[in-house]
Amino acid sequence: MKRVLQTLAVLAILGALAGGAVVAFGLYNVSARAGHLPGVSWVLHATYRNAVRLRAPSKAQVPDLDDSALIELGARHYDTACRPCHAAPGQEQTATIAAMVPAPPHIETAVKDWQPHHLHWIVANGVKMSGMPAWPAPRDDDVWPVVAFLAAVRQGMDGARYAALTRWPEAERPRAYCLGCHGQGGSDHVPRLDIQNAAYLKTALRSYLDGTRASGIMAQAVSELSDEALDDLAGWFAARTPAGAGAGDVPPDLAARGRALANAAPGDPDVPACRACHGPGATEASELFPSLSGLPAPYLRAQMELWRSGAHGGGPRAALMRKAAQDLDDDAIAALAAFYASLSPAKRD
Amino acid sequence: MERRAAHARTPVGRSMEPTERDRDRVLPGARAGSVLLGLSMLAACEGRQSVLAPAGADARVLGDLFMVMLVGAVVLWLSVNGLFFYVTRINPAALSKRFANGLIVGGGLLLPSVVLAGLLGYGLSIMPDQRAPGDGLTLRVRGEQWWWRVEYWPEGADAPIVSANEIRLPVGQRADILLDSARVIHSFWIPALGGKMDMFPGRETRLSLHPEKPGRYRGQCAEFCGTSHALMAFEAVAMPPEAFDAWLRQQEAPAAAPATAQGQRGARIFAREGCGACHTVRGTKARGLVGPDLTHVGSRLSLGAGTLGTTLADYETWIAHTGTVKPEVEMPAYDHLDPADRADLAHYLKALE
Repeated sequence: MKRVLQTLAVLAILGALAGGAVVAFGLYNVSARAGHLPGVSWVLHATYRNAVRLRAPSKAQVPDLDDSALIELGARHYDTACRPCHAAPGQEQTATIAAMVPAPPHIETAVKDWQPHHLHWIVANGVKMSGMPAWPAPRDDDVWPVVAFLAAVRQGMDGARYAALTRWPEAERPRAYCLGCHGQGGSDHVPRLDIQNAAYLKTALRSYLDGTRASGIMAQAVSELSDEALDDLAGWFAARTPAGAGAGDVPPDLAARGRALANAAPGDPDVPACRACHGPGATEASELFPSLSGLPAPYLRAQMELWRSGAHGGGPRAALMRKAAQDLDDDAIAALAAFYASLSPAKRD
Repeated sequence: MERRAAHARTPVGRSMEPTERDRDRVLPGARAGSVLLGLSMLAACEGRQSVLAPAGADARVLGDLFMVMLVGAVVLWLSVNGLFFYVTRINPAALSKRFANGLIVGGGLLLPSVVLAGLLGYGLSIMPDQRAPGDGLTLRVRGEQWWWRVEYWPEGADAPIVSANEIRLPVGQRADILLDSARVIHSFWIPALGGKMDMFPGRETRLSLHPEKPGRYRGQCAEFCGTSHALMAFEAVAMPPEAFDAWLRQQEAPAAAPATAQGQRGARIFAREGCGACHTVRGTKARGLVGPDLTHVGSRLSLGAGTLGTTLADYETWIAHTGTVKPEVEMPAYDHLDPADRADLAHYLKALE
């Protein structure tokens, strides 16, 4: 018995020395050209597939992915953040990308084997040692637009449709990039910016840049621009005059309840009077508080839920809104969103 | 209160970091600490938050009840121990069976029945006084975490005069106090004026108080209600009726416009920072209902529900460090304001008299 133990101990020491030598003297060839040893690829890939299946959220958490505004937002984000590696529908990957180990799968192949809830996990978490990055923000509800786009690719989106979805409007760069999502009054999931002033927009863009305001999509967008470019963009949007009318499809009684809450009229001591900071009519309030008039209800609801959960963040005054939103219930959120969506788009002062 | 806090801090501060040199002094330190603690507890017998210094009819009745119970308990204690001493030391001989039976029936059944029945009758007889109907003035007090929402309803009023974190009552009159709570159970207690009464969410309880001696007393939440329960106190002031009426009229008025340039700057900062989302200042656009009504905050005798004093520095401390002064309080800290803005804001609020 003693001899067996001694033998095992000696073998263990030799094994450790051998392993140490591989690391210390660079004996393992990390060349991507050389590829993996036989069988290693299979082990890594099987581990990856099974890990995704184990950890993906449940199917019940998947929102409505047929929402065209969601698909477009996902497509536009994909176009700047993901296309360089995975290519677009109807396009080939570049030769350099194809030479990666492991090679990033072409988008049309990549989505084939996975259900939307799996894709959400993969996009949110990335895959270690594969080159696939994690979502660049500490929240993952904003991954769903990308999943909606990927689901559309699964259903056979072609190159022409992709090009139409991701086309930039006619404008100077980099503004055209912003206007792709934020132009023409935004969408259900993207705010219009022409109702805000420059100070608020600058603070918001800077807080996306330094990570204090969480959004994987906006983090990607601002990281492509310099501080000066961000300030210029803030100034340009602030100089616009918003046009158009409020949402017409808002239930009037819901909007009326929202109006009462925003004015602290019903005496609900859990809801601070939104109007004091966000208007309408808050001419004396700090310019760092955004206007909400005319923003789409789904966007407002999502933002209030983020504030309530503490995931929103932002500039130095974010703590105020965090406290203000912490006791909102779902009904109050729906009513307030309906009220502000029903207002004509307008700057706060 | 400040002195007591200092006493409480000394022994803790010492025992936390006993250095080499301090080691010899640990025992004397502990002794000094307990003496100080004992002294500060004695001080409570004569303070403005003491059941033993009654300043109202109800507190007086409760004080009498306490003294009766105390004297009775002392007499009983002496008698029982005297008997023990007698049968074990003075006369340890066996008792006759008849005497022993008499002792059991008389001392074990009859005496307690008579004493307890008497005390019960006395106790029951003074209970209705604690809920006697008031003379006209009604207060509604709602327990919040961790402050007091207060409404004054003078007789015949159809709208309340709203205040917070302070109770003022006229001397020589009985006032009704209706109590409830926003979320958790609190308990309303001004020891110098009367007994305590619990406050429940969704259920109204009632108490009436009849102050007799003008003065400034202190109330305290007497039911654990969360992190800052200990910091949920208030000032209670018993005033001569004419002074009370004048005070109430002044509380009813909307806020006066700030008279100084600094006050005007403070008012603009109040609006700019959105304070009106949570606070009401009658006579301005601020009409939030989340936090205390600030229309006459400058006339109050404490800040943060009995937590801080009312100097300009106290206002600034509260504005900038709410969560440090009062852990988990709902009001966010305005530490992002620059010091000059905080000073202006403090100036504006303190002038809201």
